This record gives sequence, C-alpha cells and structure tokens, in this order.
Amino acid sequence: MSELTYATIDQTILQTLEKPRPGYWLIVAVLAGGILLGAACWLYQIFVGIGVGGQNNPVAWGIYLVNFVFWVGIAHSGTLISAILHLFRAGWRNPIARAAETMTVFAVLTAGLFPFVHLGRVWAVYYMLPYPNQRTLWPNFQSPLMFDVVAISTYLTVSSLFWYTGMLPDLATVRDRATGLRKKIFTLISLGWTGKHEQWRHYTRGYLFFAALATPLVISVHSVVSWDFALGVVPGWHTTIFAPYFVAGAIHSGLAMVLTLMIPLRRIFNYEKIITVAVLENVAKTIILTGMIVGFAYATEFFIAWYSFNTIEIEVFRYRMFGDYRVGFWIMVVCNTLIPLLFFSKKIRTSIGWLFGLSLLINVGMWFERFVIIITSVARDFIPHAWGLYAPTAIEFGIMIGSFCLFFFLFLLFVKHLPSVSMAEIKETLHEGAPHAG
Amino acid sequence: MNRRTFLKTAGVGSVSVAAGCTSQPEKTIYALVQAPDDTVTGKALWYASTCRECPAGCGVLARSREGRVVKVEGNPLHPINQGRLCMRGQAALQAIYHPERLDTPQLKENGEWRALSWPAAEGLLQEKTRAAAGAGAGRVRVLTEVIGESLTALFGEALDQWQSPPPLVFEPFAYEALKTANRMAFGVDGLVSYHLDQADLLVCLGADFLETWLSPVEYARQFKAMHALQANRKGFFAHIAPCQSLTAANADLWLACHPASEGAVALGLIRKALESGRGQSLPAPLRVSLTTASAPYTPEKVAHLADIPADAFDRLAARLLAAKAPLVLGTATAGSGAADVAANLAANLLNRVLDPELTRIDFAHRHRVETAAPRAEVLDFFKRLSPDTTDVLLLNNVNPVFALPGAGIAEGLGQPGLFVVSTSNFMDETTLLADLVLPVRMPLEGWDEYGGKRALISGLQPAMGSLTAAPGLGDVILRAAFGADPPFPDYQGYLQARLSAQGIVDGERQWVEFLQRGGRFDLPAAPARAPLPAEVPIAFEPVPVAAASLVLVAAPSIRFFDGRGANRPWLCEIPDPLTKVAWQTPLLAHPDTLASHALRHADVVAVRSAHGTLEAPVYETVGVRPGVLAMAIGQGHSAYGRYAQDEGVNPLGLLPPEADAVSGGPVFAAGDVLLTPTGRQMPLAHTDGSRIQHGRKIALTTPLQAAAHDDAHPPKAGLTMADFPLTLPLPEGYDPKRDAYPPHDHADYRWSMVVDLDRCIGCGACSAACYAENNIGVVGAQRILEGREMAWLRIERYLDPQDERKVIFLPMMCQHCDNAPCEAVCPVYAPHHSKEGLNNQIYNRCIGTRFCSQNCPYKVRRFNWFTWQWPRPLNLQLNPDVTARSKGVMEKCSFCIQRIKAAHGTAKNENRGIRDGEIQPACLQTCPTGALSFGNLMDSQSRVRQMVMDRRAYQVMGYLNTKPAVIYLRKVVQEI
Repeated sequence: MSELTYATIDQTILQTLEKPRPGYWLIVAVLAGGILLGAACWLYQIFVGIGVGGQNNPVAWGIYLVNFVFWVGIAHSGTLISAILHLFRAGWRNPIARAAETMTVFAVLTAGLFPFVHLGRVWAVYYMLPYPNQRTLWPNFQSPLMFDVVAISTYLTVSSLFWYTGMLPDLATVRDRATGLRKKIFTLISLGWTGKHEQWRHYTRGYLFFAALATPLVISVHSVVSWDFALGVVPGWHTTIFAPYFVAGAIHSGLAMVLTLMIPLRRIFNYEKIITVAVLENVAKTIILTGMIVGFAYATEFFIAWYSFNTIEIEVFRYRMFGDYRVGFWIMVVCNTLIPLLFFSKKIRTSIGWLFGLSLLINVGMWFERFVIIITSVARDFIPHAWGLYAPTAIEFGIMIGSFCLFFFLFLLFVKHLPSVSMAEIKETLHEGAPHAG
Repeated sequence: MNRRTFLKTAGVGSVSVAAGCTSQPEKTIYALVQAPDDTVTGKALWYASTCRECPAGCGVLARSREGRVVKVEGNPLHPINQGRLCMRGQAALQAIYHPERLDTPQLKENGEWRALSWPAAEGLLQEKTRAAAGAGAGRVRVLTEVIGESLTALFGEALDQWQSPPPLVFEPFAYEALKTANRMAFGVDGLVSYHLDQADLLVCLGADFLETWLSPVEYARQFKAMHALQANRKGFFAHIAPCQSLTAANADLWLACHPASEGAVALGLIRKALESGRGQSLPAPLRVSLTTASAPYTPEKVAHLADIPADAFDRLAARLLAAKAPLVLGTATAGSGAADVAANLAANLLNRVLDPELTRIDFAHRHRVETAAPRAEVLDFFKRLSPDTTDVLLLNNVNPVFALPGAGIAEGLGQPGLFVVSTSNFMDETTLLADLVLPVRMPLEGWDEYGGKRALISGLQPAMGSLTAAPGLGDVILRAAFGADPPFPDYQGYLQARLSAQGIVDGERQWVEFLQRGGRFDLPAAPARAPLPAEVPIAFEPVPVAAASLVLVAAPSIRFFDGRGANRPWLCEIPDPLTKVAWQTPLLAHPDTLASHALRHADVVAVRSAHGTLEAPVYETVGVRPGVLAMAIGQGHSAYGRYAQDEGVNPLGLLPPEADAVSGGPVFAAGDVLLTPTGRQMPLAHTDGSRIQHGRKIALTTPLQAAAHDDAHPPKAGLTMADFPLTLPLPEGYDPKRDAYPPHDHADYRWSMVVDLDRCIGCGACSAACYAENNIGVVGAQRILEGREMAWLRIERYLDPQDERKVIFLPMMCQHCDNAPCEAVCPVYAPHHSKEGLNNQIYNRCIGTRFCSQNCPYKVRRFNWFTWQWPRPLNLQLNPDVTARSKGVMEKCSFCIQRIKAAHGTAKNENRGIRDGEIQPACLQTCPTGALSFGNLMDSQSRVRQMVMDRRAYQVMGYLNTKPAVIYLRKVVQEI
C-alpha cells in the first residue's frame, strides 16, 4: 500500500474508464444476446403457459425459485462487505466495497425478476399491491410471499441509495477529468459535489447511517426469503434453522461471487496493487467461517431429523442423501463445506488460480443447495401417492442463462462506465496508522 | 311448440352458438340467453333414459342445459343401479360430443370415402335391401350389439320383409360358459341374476362383478350391502382366480390359483360340503354323481392342482359350511373355455348343495345380455359370409375386426359383391371396412327401450337436440324395410304402439309417466322357476399340473369394457384402478416371472403366442401369479379416433381364435407364451408416486374384532402422528394449548364429507363424475408422465408393505381444512375460507404463485400448466355452472359449490334451511357403494355428524393440525 499515492490511485482507477478494447464489446454483445434469449423464453412461457417448464404436481416450484434465492443470497455478501465491515472499521474491505455493493444491486435486480417469471398469471401480479379497489380487497400480509415483496423492495431501495450515495465523491472525480458528453452526464449524477469539508462530513455521516440501515437488512432480507420455505408445512422446509442457515449460506455464496468477480477484474484492470492478495485472502478466510456455519447447519438438520423419530422428516433427509437427487446433494455438501476447508492452507488461499477455481465451485454448490432444499422436499413430502420428480427444461435453462447474462452484462457495463473501486475509500486507508486531524 | 320441437330448436341453437366460436369455445359455454318458452335459461331439464355403454342397462337421468346434455347421472328410481353410475356411464357423453363423430354418411368409392346426404344414404340402403330381397331369401343379414326387445322385434319384422333370418346378436363378452353351466345345472337357457346383498359369505371363482361382469353397478351396491360393516358384522368375500382384478383386490381372501383350476377348487368345496352332510335334499342321481365327481378332489389334491395353501382352503371350506347364506359365483366375464364351463358348473352345483332352494339366485330377472349369440355362432357366421349367399350385411354398433382378430373378419367384410353397411358414428376398425356408413342417433338423442333385466323395461328418449342430422336406427329400418308405406310414421310411434299392445303403457298419461320415471320396473315376473334338473352330466377333466409355460390372461377393463370406451378421453385419462397407469396398456407380471427372464419393471417385452405377437411395457406386481401374465382388453386400436388410435396394446390377437367346443365361447387366455426382452424401456404414465404408505397415517385399517368391540383403553391424545386426536373442523376441535388462532366463525353450515373406506371399492366412478361436472381438462399420456394430471379427486391405491396383495383404496380430494395451510400462504387470498367452511379457490384472483399447492400436505391442488383444449364439440359437454379455467390458475375440489349454491337457492325460495342429504356433490351422487357422505357438521342430527362419532373415524395426516373437513372411516379387515 505504501507505493500508492493519491495520484496513482486516481490514475489506476480512472484508466479503467477509457475506451474499451473491441473484445469488450464482443462480450457485451454476447451477454446481450443471452438476455434476449432469456426474454424470448419468458415471452414464450407467458403465451403458452408455465407448462413449458418442468414443474408439475408435486414439484410446482422449479429452478426459477432456486435462481431467485441464489441471486438474493449473492446480494447479501455485497452488503456485508460494504456495510457491516464498514461498521467494524475493517479497512481491508475498502478496495472491494464498491464492486461488492454493485454486485448487490445487480443481484437484487436479477433476483427480482424471478418472482415475476415464475408466476402463472404475471399480468395480474398487481393484485399483490394494496391498491384501492372496488371490492375492497387487500393482499394477504400473512403470506411469506408478501413479506418477500416488502423485504426485496426495501433491500433494493436501500442498497441502490447506499451504492449511489457512496459513489458521489468518485463520480465527481470522474467529472473533473472528463470531457464532452461524459462530463455532462457525470456533472448531472455527481449532484454538484465540490469536496468541501461540509460535504465530506455529511457524506461520511450519511454513509455511516446507510451502512447501519443496510446491516440489519443483511440478516432480515434473507431470513424473510428463507421463510418462504420455513413458514410452509413441507418437511425439509418447516424448520426454524432456516433463517440463520440461509443468511450464512447467502454470505457464503456472495463472498465466493465476490472472488469470482474481483479476480478477473483486478487482472484486467491492473488493480493488483489496490485489490491485493491480502484482501482476497481475507475474503477466503471469511469463506471458511461461513462454510463451517453452513456445514454445521447441514449437520444440525440431519441430526434433528434423526433425533425427532419423525418418519416423514427422516425420509426426506434420507431421500436427499440417497434418493433421485443425491448427485446434487453431494455436490452441495462437498462444494459448500469441504472445499472451503482448503482455504486453511495459506498456499491455497493466496493463490489466485485456486481462489478463482474454488469460488466457482462454491457457487455451484450453493446453487445446488437451493435446488436440493426446494426440489427434494416437495418431491417427497407427506402423501406417497403424490410423490413425483422434477427436471428443468430448456425454457427454464434459457431464462436462467438470461439471468446470468443480465447480471454480468450490467456488471460489465458498470466496470467500464463507473469507477469500480472506491477511490475515496482507498485514499482513506492510505492514512491508516498515521495521525490525522478530525 | 311441443317439447320435442323445442329440444330440436334449442339443440340446433346451442350447437350453432358453440360452433360459431373460434379459438376459445369455452368462453361462451352459456348459450341461449334468450330461451324459448317453456324453459328458463340456467335451469336444467332432466330427462330419464338408459345407459347403453354395456349390456347392463342402468337407468340414467340426463341433465340438459339449453338443449344439450352436460351430465349423465343414475336414475334413482331404476332398480338396477338405483341412482348410481359407473365411469363408463359418465363418459357416455364424450361419445356423443366426440370430435371424430361422423356428421354425414360416408360412401366408399374406389377405396375413398365420399360424404353423402342423409336421404341419399337411406335411399341407397333401401335400394340395396330391396334388391337383395328380390334376389332370394336370406340375403340380408344383420349383426348387432345387444338391443332391446322392441328394436329386436322391428329388426325381425324388417328382416321378414327381406325374407332373411332374424338378427345375430354379437357381444365380445357373451358368457357362453356361464350360460352352458346354467343350462346344465339349473335347466335355464340364460343368465340368472343374483342377490349378493342377501349373502353372508361370497365365494367367487373369478367373476369381476365390480367391473364388467353382467351388471357391475348393481352388484357393487349389493356387494357392499353385505360386505360393509353393519351392526358390528361383515359378510366375508373370498376370491379364487389367478389374477387380482379390482374385484379380487376387494376380497378378504384372494387365493391366487393356477389358471384353469378354479373348477378343481369348487369341486373340492363340494366334496367337503357333501362330506359334512350337506346336499341331502338334492335329487339322488345328482347327489351320487356329485359325490363321484368330487371324490378325487381332496384338500391335498386341490392345493396341489390349484397351487394354493392347503390350510387356506381348509379354512375357507370351514367358513363356507358355517355360513348361513353362502353364495358362489362363477368365473370372469372374459373366460369361456372348457375350464370355465367346468368352474361355472361346479359353482352352480356348489350353490345347489349349500342352498338347494337357491334363494339368492333370481331366475325371474335374467340379464338381457343372455340374448347374445355364442362366439361359435358368430365365427361360423363370418366363416360362411360370402357374396354368394349374402348381398347386404348391416352392422349395428359392433366391432368384430377389433374383437375377433385372427378370425378373418376383415377379409370376410372385404369380399366384393358384399355390401356392408355400418350404423356406427365412428370410424373404428370395422367401419373402415364398410361400404356405406350410415350413422344413427346415439342413445341420448333418440327413442328406444331397453330392459337390462327381465321384468323391467327402461325407456330411452331424446334428452338433447340432435348434434348431427342422423336419424334414429329404428326410423332407418322402418323406412328401409317398409319404404313408402311404413306401418308407423317413425320408430317412436312403433315403440309406443308396441308398449301399448303389451299392456306396459296404457294411454297417454301412462306413457308420460313411463318417460318421466325412465321405464316400468314392476312388470309381472315369470312364474315360479321350473324345477331344477335332477341329473347333471358332470365330466371334469383334471387340471394338468403347471407346466413351465407362461399363460397370458386377457381381462376386460373397467374403463374400456370390450374396447368401445377407448375413444373417450376421460376413460383413458382416469388410470386403471390397480396399476394406476393411464393411456397405456402394461403387461402385468410377477417379480419371479420377471426375474427368470432378466426383466425389470417398465422394460418393453415382446410377447409371442401361437397366434400372434405384441410388444408392451411390463408392470411388476404380485397381483398376478408367477407364470401368469395379465393384460387389459380394450386398447390398441388401429383406428377409432385420436384418443384410441395407437394408444395402448391389444392382447386379443394372441388368444386362440377358435371357440371352445363345449360352451361355444372363446378362451381369453393363451398358454405357452414366450417373453423376449427388447432392450428398450418405456416410461409408464402412472399417477401414483409410491405404492406403499411408508408408515404414514393415510389409509388405515382396523381388524373386525376391534371395530366390533369397544376399546377398553382408548389411546391417550398426544401430538404425534399416532396419537393426535380427531380434531373436527368446528370450534370444539380447537385447543388454545395447541392452536395459535381462534376457530372460524361459521354461519349455519359447516360442510363436511365422510369417506367410508370400508365401502370404497376403488372403481373410479367418482373421479369420472368429477371430470364431467367440473370441466376438468384431459391432459394426455405425455403430460401425465410429466406429473400434470388434473384430477380433483383421485383414488389412491396403497399396498400393504408386509403383503402386497392386500390393497386399500382411498379417495383423496381437497380436505377443506379448517386450518388450511394453503390459505395462509397465498399472497392474494385466492384460496379463501368461506363462511360455510369451504376452501374456495377463486380463479379470477389467482396469480399462479403455486405456493398453495406446495403447502398443501395432501397435494390435491391442480395447476393449469396450459390452457387445456376441448376439441369441438367436446366443449358442448362443459357444465355452464362451473368456470372453465385458463392457464396459470390453480384449481381443486370445491365440494361442488355450484350444487351447494343451487341448494341454497332452492331452500331460500322455499323459506327453509337446507335439508340433510339434499346436496349431493357429483362424486357422492354416482358412487355405486355409497362410500361418500356429505352434510352439515353443525347440524347435530345430520348423517355426517353421526358418522364422525364412529370409532373408526380419523383424519388423514391429522397430526399436522390442518383440521380437515373430510373425515375417513377405517377399512375393516378380516382374516379367514
């Protein structure tokens, strides 16, 4: 860090906003194509019916819900890094805070699509809003899906505002160096930031308050999402461990996604001196913690199922381990609990290649965790006559691919048009340890 | 305007309205907003008629809305079915509204079909028959299904005009062996009927009387009258057959005997009976020959020949001899070989030994299907069929090409110079080979009479406007035979005059009563039966000990009967009661058989007999003996419309085509069958996720001793699955220590249903009625494989994991829980708890999140994955009282809320409350055994309130505290 100066920080980061190579536009085009594919699949589904997916009776919820929980989960880690670690004054998070918060906003946006996608009559979704109507009908606030609406919209609002507010000084920096159209746009969005002392005071105060506001959301939003399942009577869902279990899992997968995003980012944008290996190493260490919490949650679930002597509970967990979906189950266990233990080795957690590879595996594992939870519990619940299997179809995969493309499309646009590392915060850390005024 | 003209106008009106619609015909199922005089739009008219889906002849009431029939129900006044109807009767409508129903006559010219006008077709028929009559005697032949006396008489008169012999009646199932046995043992040339309800012990050698045998709806009712728990007693039912049919699955004891050994078992029982001193009042010659014939059949020999446990046989014999009112029934519908003659004869003689007066056998009310000719006669007819002797062959609703493969029927029909006329409304295999297709009115559209049993006559009248311009069969024959000067202007006149002449209907008033009631059921019965024969020629061949060869047994299906039901989508979609496979025809095989051929469940095998081959997926089950393969008859059509063509497999081609020498009937089994794996697999479209209950409290049984005696120590109430108490969906079912929310505040009614598992036989009639009443979409085999069948009411079939031959059936529908998990989780209140306790699914409000179905522990909620199609004119069958749902919306059983609302309306008009039993949801209305009851739990005098006090009462998954309003009564099981 000592080689960094204000000038080099600005230069490194602002350099990323230069005109991109043709390869960049190619990738963006491919991702846009993926989004169109997803949109086309969704339109097809709207016109023909949800039946184009693989859902059925008993498994009426398929990978749309899996993807929804997956993306919401990823979002939480961003807020953990940018809000909670800010409150803890963990300076090592500064280089990745901006990108992490961006990841949060885009992940919530992507996640927010899926409740619409999975609806049977999406054109009537406004029934969920408490608008005045002639029949004096209210939505059912007792339903976990209504909690979701409130939670996700709150999270999106707060995260977006937090993200935007936090970016203001950097936007002003870009404005000062920009010319032409970019200058006009950045003038607009930097809201007249001049860097006066008063503005900095308000900024840090506001940032702190947003962080404090966003912090409980990290716990509450995914708890609420987990209650989509825990408030159901389905065996394998109906358990109080879900809230902490899902939150831990969310942070686990989000941290892995942070690694997946940061490692190519620092390489392509030459951020090595800013997003150092030590930062990545800290993320990996946190992954060990969350992985162990998740592993503990799995063990608890299985133990309670055995201890309960409840035949139905025992069967659900036996089915997860040895039934039709056992491949997904074992991927989940290995990737989420065993793989992160590799990070105990200093060699592995400081090796860029290992970090990237393992982060991908962890995310695969976390996707399968949601798949296993959602699909296997309903595939075999109470009435054996009704048991059935589910397999996703091409349309569902098409929409899933579209969602992944949407996320990376937005992220790619972000990194080339907005400062992907928080210049102001990095400059802050330069002064750590040195006496400073006020 | 008289009622008939109105019906014609109304029918044409509603047809034209529906025909004018384009892509979504279901949007305008409410026709005739401005109704003609004499009717009120929205109010149904009910016409009595008779079901003609099988020869039983149950009486029906057709519910006619705006000139078209939307539902068929049993006629409560009819003595045969007493208001109930099987699934085939419910599905009769789908034949009338079938998309492939022919709407014009067709003439075959140079191998191509050309549409013809109705007058031209009738003219052609007249011309041909006249020419044939002129060319000589006997040149016009008629082959017909079983028809009523009047139509038979008309045919007779017409054929007289044409100097030809009377019509030949062809039914694929003609009970030749049973008729032979009746002739020999009772001196009766026909099919007697039975009073199962008066028996206390029923022994059956294979007769599938709950499915297709003689009169299934009637016998199902009678069976449960004797077999269901009453006053702490139950009749006993033992079934002896190689395959577990639905009837056998409802038996207390199923002895899986070797094929063709049923007669040996019966002889063994005769020997025991004679040994113990019964049969003293029999005529001496008979007693002597019986003793001689049965002497070799010791219990050891019987056990060996039939391969049944010797102790089971001994206990059965003991029970039989201890019974006060035993009744023995013969072999299956599809069984007429030599062994069947022996078995049926032995059964008849055993009845004579046990009950010399034969009090439980009814000789006066014989079944009409006895008029069907023996198979030998039909085969002989086709063998002799030649243009040299016959010019015109008229086929009335028969399909011999399908039913008699290997008998050269197709070649016979194709002979040049022979003019074949078919009156069928469908291009089935036989009609495709006709020269002229002249469709006639279907049963609900025209006039006729049919007496399913003697001493009663059941009328048919037009219950709807005619969908096509088809004439009635009787009218066609009248005009064809008598041309310009018929003795009666139409068949209706002929019918009326005949009934008048016979004294059945005397005057206009009685005629109207006849039509209103559906017939006359109190005709003078035949005088006392003739004395029974004193001597019976008994020659039994010992059954050869089992060789290593496989036997293929073909059995008629409760869904398709002889194959005629294969084109009705409901019958294809509602799965087979025992295999729960829909749309496909699996080959049932024992695990030992499969193991010895290195086969697994769902492997496709090639089956070869001396007469033919087929390929089918195997279904592993202990419901057949090792060494026996079973397959249902009825599917595997090569024509007959989109729902039947190329669906399933036809086993008839593997059976011997000849008729048995003794009975003149066919053998529905083939020996020396070879099984070859093909290496392919075929996923079976089965609707059951698992065959066993996995230790869950779903379908419970109780032994007879426990049900009969009070529990000295009733179980202490707890919170686990085993000891959770019965929690009625009433305030009394709420316990503040257990329930977070207070009870619902219901108004005067809290609707509830009680299902008596001791009465449910698993026939599926309720499911069919539900499809008909509630506009439920048919999804097809592929969607069933995907798990998307739409049945609101399904019959769950569970096997006992300790002994998989023990079967229990559980009708499962929406439980209308008081503490419904679905209601809490819908974000928009689409499942809404009504003030009468119903869980109402509000289609317009549903946005399709499907959380309700995920949260329903019973998985009774059905989602519309697509907008299901009703190819015109099937959409005319849709019930206007029930919304047709679009894609994206959840649906489920509503306790037939449209019927509840109708009852409310009637009660309000009459300024009273709804009476107990006034509301009959469709399922309950048709259940042949009365397994379902519905009523108001808040009325302390109601039937359901009394029934939930039964010690057998419990709730499925009750420990989840859902407080279901569907209460089940445990099935009472007894051992021999």
